[in-house]
Parts: sequence; structure tokens; C-alpha cells
Amino acid sequence: MNTETLHHPSGAAAGSTHAHDTVESVSGLSPKALHFSRIFELFVVAAIIMLFAGAIHLHVLLLAGDWDMFLDWKDRQYWPLLSPVVMIMFPAALQGIFWTYFRLPIGATVGATCLMLAVSISRPASFMWWTDYPLNLVLPAQMIAGAIVLDVFLLVFRNALFTAVFGGFAFAFLFYPSNYAIFAPFYVPVSHQGMMASMADLIGYVYPRSATPEYIRIIERGTLRTFGDSASWVSALFGGFICIFMHYAWWYLGIAMSSMKFLPNNKKVMAMMGTKADA
Amino acid sequence: MYSIQKIIKLFALCLGVLLLSGAATELAWAHGERSQEPYLRTRTVQYYDVHYDKQTVKVNEEFTLVGRFRLMEDWPDAVSLPETVFLSAYSPGPMITRVESYLNGMPARQSFSKLELGRDYEFKLVMKGRVPGRHHIHPLLSIKGSGPLVGPGQWIEVTGNKADYVLPVTTMNGVQIDNLEFYGISRALKWYGVWIALAAFWLLFWLVRPLLLPRWIALNKGREDVLISTTDITVGVILGVVVVAISFGGYIYAKQEYPYVVPLQAGTNKVEPLPKTKGDVEVKVLKANYDVPGRAMHVTARMTNHGNEPVTILEFATANLRFVNQQGPGADKAVSADYPRDLVARGGLGLSDQKPLMPGETRDIKFEASDALWEVERLVSFLTDVDSKFGGLLFFMDKSGKRVLTEIGGPILPTFTAL
Repeated sequence: MNTETLHHPSGAAAGSTHAHDTVESVSGLSPKALHFSRIFELFVVAAIIMLFAGAIHLHVLLLAGDWDMFLDWKDRQYWPLLSPVVMIMFPAALQGIFWTYFRLPIGATVGATCLMLAVSISRPASFMWWTDYPLNLVLPAQMIAGAIVLDVFLLVFRNALFTAVFGGFAFAFLFYPSNYAIFAPFYVPVSHQGMMASMADLIGYVYPRSATPEYIRIIERGTLRTFGDSASWVSALFGGFICIFMHYAWWYLGIAMSSMKFLPNNKKVMAMMGTKADA
Repeated sequence: MYSIQKIIKLFALCLGVLLLSGAATELAWAHGERSQEPYLRTRTVQYYDVHYDKQTVKVNEEFTLVGRFRLMEDWPDAVSLPETVFLSAYSPGPMITRVESYLNGMPARQSFSKLELGRDYEFKLVMKGRVPGRHHIHPLLSIKGSGPLVGPGQWIEVTGNKADYVLPVTTMNGVQIDNLEFYGISRALKWYGVWIALAAFWLLFWLVRPLLLPRWIALNKGREDVLISTTDITVGVILGVVVVAISFGGYIYAKQEYPYVVPLQAGTNKVEPLPKTKGDVEVKVLKANYDVPGRAMHVTARMTNHGNEPVTILEFATANLRFVNQQGPGADKAVSADYPRDLVARGGLGLSDQKPLMPGETRDIKFEASDALWEVERLVSFLTDVDSKFGGLLFFMDKSGKRVLTEIGGPILPTFTAL
């Protein structure tokens, strides 16, 4: 089955079509079956939220790490580049799964919302309530804007490749402007001990993270600052370029991970499973 | 074949062991400084003259931690050189806040590069009580590639109410911020709310309809025409346009709202060490051994006084432990009242010869630093150390009260219990 592009029904395979057909009528399920199907869907939705909120949160923690975690890591160069590249992975996989099996253009938004839900729990719980850090030190970035646009591109193009090229690029390119409105106040300059600092630097300095010395920050390095004020946009563009490939790879990874494979039932396999081949 | 009963018993046993191990666990109050290998603590950064001006502060009340450290000349090969360092305070989270910090008078908000071995540096940390409680605070020098090297820790009692904590800040644009603690949070939450609302709209737009099984069946029947309608596409495109408009609109609005912004400040600063003191006393270690059962370090050293005044050994200090010669001049004032008492050896420092070292004189003197602190502080790991050496600072005092410090160190031989 070609799962990338929309099939236009034709011939016997499509069956007879009517203008007033609905998903329910086409499915052929009885009202009772539809009712139980709906209940089943509720369980699936709950499972997806819990599973992917945890999985995406862990994934972003491990790969985007401090860039997403701490305010004083959100620089002009690495933050707009690394965060979307890491964040697009699970949404792309979910998009591939939801589109391939159900033609639902919501996979990316599901992923972004799950991450937002997870950080909405973990940041206040881990940092504010448990370890007494102020919330502004650990405000997360959001990827919902890019994810919605990614889903819309899939809805319009109905094609994995075009979605990766245009949607993947847009996902990363929108990351910086859609988050800037949240973080702009933290780039306001202050004078501290006779030196200039951004508010983010100051917040990071004031609240000691004993095992996180200042030099550990990987920010504003290299010569990208040659572009002056435009460094963020160059990073966003490059992030978009990387996200094209990242989306395409994770789309198929998602489909592969949601496919069932069966081993042939030969003597060797039966022996491995503890079944007597001659039984 | 395991029966259900056996599995339940095994599970109950594991649970019991877990509960018992939990009950036997003590709370950890310090920072695990004793877990650092002895060579890290005795041969890298030697803190001295450390003072805490207060040990009880109210919420919002400032206190100061000052001191000096010597970067040892005989730096271990296994430890990265202090090419990039950061001065800080080791605390159990932000129980206190950093107000200011200085290294040799230079602001220490950022890291420093290329500190010199064999030289001394002076630090100052101004902190402020934030969360009530009794907190263990250390000065801390983080070295890139090696990690944190902590100074003597002191208990600081913070009293009051955490809710009273404030940190007002004035931006360079002249905007007064009442409390840094809550700065920018409400704005961020509003924006998160906008994005979550848009995501919720898009998800609910699809979730209210048949979701999984009916769509899957219809798809397999080749009826994709009923799965996505023209309305769906129209709504999606409109939503996409709205999202892009809000993203760039918000960006432009924020740019106008905050016209003066700066990038995060990175990079390191250079700081000169304290002026080199005149090496009035030259010390060459001839022999050193550690008596494992006796918990005593014995050092024989050849000492030459190049100065003009007679000097007496006052103190041997290593890894924040202090062994003071009780018969030395000014011994009663050697350890200030604010220095952690658990780091001061009760037995003090024993000398083979209490006679002052006269100007121009060279003499072999043996000293003994004996105390259970060697074991308590886990400073003896001769069976695991790769280069059994010791290091420390030897303090001399002349009649006028002038103090001279000299770095000493060298190979050390353990004396084990005879088997």
C-alpha cells in the first residue's frame, strides 16, 4: 500500500462512492461497534499522551539538554539551531504514523503538545517545588507553532517528501521568532559589578547551580557572530536545512517502529521459542 | 518451575530489603567533598585565610565569604591545568543567592582563563539568605576538565520566611524590576497559553470526529475522500497562516517592546595573581611517611631561613585541614572563630624541635600531623593512589607576627600494620 500520497478511489477497489458518505458509513461499523471504538480511542489517546509526553521529554532532555533547560543557555547561535533539530524527531515520527495509518494530519502537534504538557509538570515540580529554583531560570521553549505549520503542510501536500522539504524547514525557521516573544525580556541589558549582562545571565548567576560552572555553557562560540545581529536567522536557516533531512528520516523511522514483523514459523524459530518442532 | 507463591515471597523479600536499606540510610547534608580523591584535595587548590562574616542571617540579609587559595606548583598530572576556572559558592541549591563575587578584586560573574600555578589568589563572595534552614556553604573553584574543588564548608543558618525574599534590579534602560525571582514569568505563561490554545483547537478539530478504527477501515477500503475534506484543508491553511502571523507578529512586537537587547555574555576574563611573596623560608622534604594505624603523617624537611628574623613553624594545612603548632607564636589566634571546627586537628602539629629557625640557618626538622581527621576526611588512599604523594602549605611566623607560607610536598610512604 502506498501510504505517502492520497489515493483517489477508482474502480472496484474503491467500491461505490456517494456524495454523502461519512467515515462512519464507509467503515461499515454498527452503532454499537462505533460506540466501543470511541471508548477504545479514548484509551488510546490517554496512552499516547502519557507515553509520548514521557518519551519526548526524555528525548529533549538528553539531546537538547541545557539549551532547553536553562535560560542562560538560550543564545543566538546554538539554541535556534539545536533545539528544533532535536525537537522535530518525535513529531516527524508521530506524523508518519498518524498519516500512514489514519490520514490524520496531527502527529506533529500531538508531539509538541505532549512535550509542552511534560515540561509544564516537570519544570515547576523539579525546579520550583523540589529544589527552590525560580521558574524563570527554567522556562522551556515551545515548538507548537512549528508543529502546527508542519501538520498543515502535510495536510496540503499529502506527501512525506514535500512535507519534509517545506514543513521541516518551516518548523525550524519558525522556532526562533515564535519563541522570541517569550524570551525577549531576558535579553534586556543590566549592569552588574561594572560589567554588562543580560537578564538571563544575571538570573543564571544569582541562583547558584553548584555543579554547573559558567564556562560549561556552550553559547555564542565560533565566528557566526560575524553576521552581527543576524546570527539567529542564520542559525534558524541552517536549522531548517537540517530539519528537512531529520524529518524525512524520522518519518520513516516512525513507520518502521509501528510496523509488525513476523518471523517465519519454521523449525528453528519454534525451537528458539521452546516449542517442539515435531509436536 | 516457579509457583506464584514463590514469586510473591521473593517479591516480598526484595521489598523488605529495600525498606530496611531505606530505613538505615542517613540524610546527606554536605556535598560529598570527602569522596574526592586525596590527590585532588591535597595537591591542587589549597584554601587558606577563609572567613565567613556571619553564620546566621535573615532572609534578604547579605553575608560575605572571603579567603585566599594557592594553586599548587606540584599539580597532579591527572588533573587539568587551571586554564579555565569559575569561582562560586557550593550550596545545596539556591538556598542562598549570589549577589557579587570577585577574584583578586575583579568581578567573577564570568569564568577566568589561565590561572598560574604556584601563585595565590584572593576571593570574595557576597551572598544573600533566601530559603530558611541550615545550609552547608563552601567556596568553590571549578576547573574545566577537572570539576569542582571545594574550600572549607561552614553551616549558615538562614531565618525568616522565603516568601519575603526579593531581589530588585534596575535595567540599563532605567526600568525598575521589583523582584528578579518572578521576572518575565507571567508574560511567558501568557504566550504558552496562546500556543496551547491553538494546538488544542487543531487537535480537538480532529479528535471530535471518528479517530482511529473507522478511519483505518475507510483508508483500507480506498475511501480517502471521506477522511479529509475541503473544509479540513481550508481550516488548516487558515490556522497555518494565523500561526505564522502570530509568530512573526509577536517577534516584531517584542522587538519594538524591547529595542535594546544584548546577546548572552560569554567569554573569559584574565586576572593577575597576587604579588609573589618573598620566599623567606626554603623547605625541602627529605622524608615523609604516613602511619596508617597511628593516623599520623611524619615529615622530615630541611628548612633554611633566608629572612632577617627568626621564624617558627606555626601550621601545616592541607585539604582544608589545619594542624596548628600549639606552642608556636600566635597559635591562639591562628584559627579564627568562624573557621569550621571539624576541620581543625585537635592534636595540632608536633615538632621535633621548637627552637626558632634563625636567619641564615639550615636545619632538619621533623613534624608530625596526627589526627583521626586523616581517616574521617578520607585523605588516606595509598592503596589506590597512582602517585603516592602529598602536598600542603607550611606556615611560619616571626616574632613581629609576620607570616610566611611555603608550599611543601613530595612522595610519601605508608606504614601499614604488620601482618
